[in-house]
Amino acid sequence: MIDDLCDGPLEEDRKVAMFYCDYNQQEQTAINIMGAILKQLLVREEEVEGVRKEFQKAKEKVGGRGLRLPDIVRILKQALTTLPRVFICIDALDECLHEHLLELLELLKDILRESPKTRIFLTGRPQVEAEVKGYFATGVTVPISPKTHDVKIYLEKELEKDPERGAMSDDLRADILRIIPEKISEMCVEAPPILTPRITLD
Amino acid sequence: MKWLGPLNSRGRHQDVRTKRMDGVGNWVLETKEWREWRGNEGGADKAVLFCYGHPGVGKTYLR
Repeated sequence: MIDDLCDGPLEEDRKVAMFYCDYNQQEQTAINIMGAILKQLLVREEEVEGVRKEFQKAKEKVGGRGLRLPDIVRILKQALTTLPRVFICIDALDECLHEHLLELLELLKDILRESPKTRIFLTGRPQVEAEVKGYFATGVTVPISPKTHDVKIYLEKELEKDPERGAMSDDLRADILRIIPEKISEMCVEAPPILTPRITLD
Repeated sequence: MKWLGPLNSRGRHQDVRTKRMDGVGNWVLETKEWREWRGNEGGADKAVLFCYGHPGVGKTYLR
């Protein structure tokens, strides 16, 4: 989705900021995620310099370690007022530690309150749906499951990698491309999720 | 801009772009939900779009 947003119409003045949550990265706290998003939204040199000076000042205070979360959110909100259209995309919310996730959603809600034009795109496993809906009751949800067409593309690409392509008959190849996509789609509808990720698209 | 924290998603995004298979998941771009969200229809109430699914269904690799 990020690339579709980035590749949109040239005449549209927009900025896309993204973040990929990853449970392997312990430092993915709300402050660091917000910092990563802000980095992508500071476009003008003087803005960057202004924030850098603020950081320096905050660090020089007794016990100061740099910008605090409220500072980052304030600067982020400020940046949003200078940009025409901003899309914030955060992938894999379920990989965010629960305490950080709730803080992050609260901050995004706060940002939207002041910048209602901002668009926020989120992805995650079904177990975080309740949290997202809890913060964004009127938000829109789209369930994602591989379609027959998706599985077929995947299989075609995998079959192309076969080093001994001649060893497979055309009939078998055709059967693979016909039967597996049908079965996968049925599994996604009927079977518990544990059976579906055998073909891994993410 | 290290002073804004140690995290950066650019590298991960490049990795996603490289591994993505063209055409997979493009149906999402055709949904009414995506088009309305993308086009800013619905105003602040519809500012958030959440795509959810089980592991391995392709959420991260949506184009």
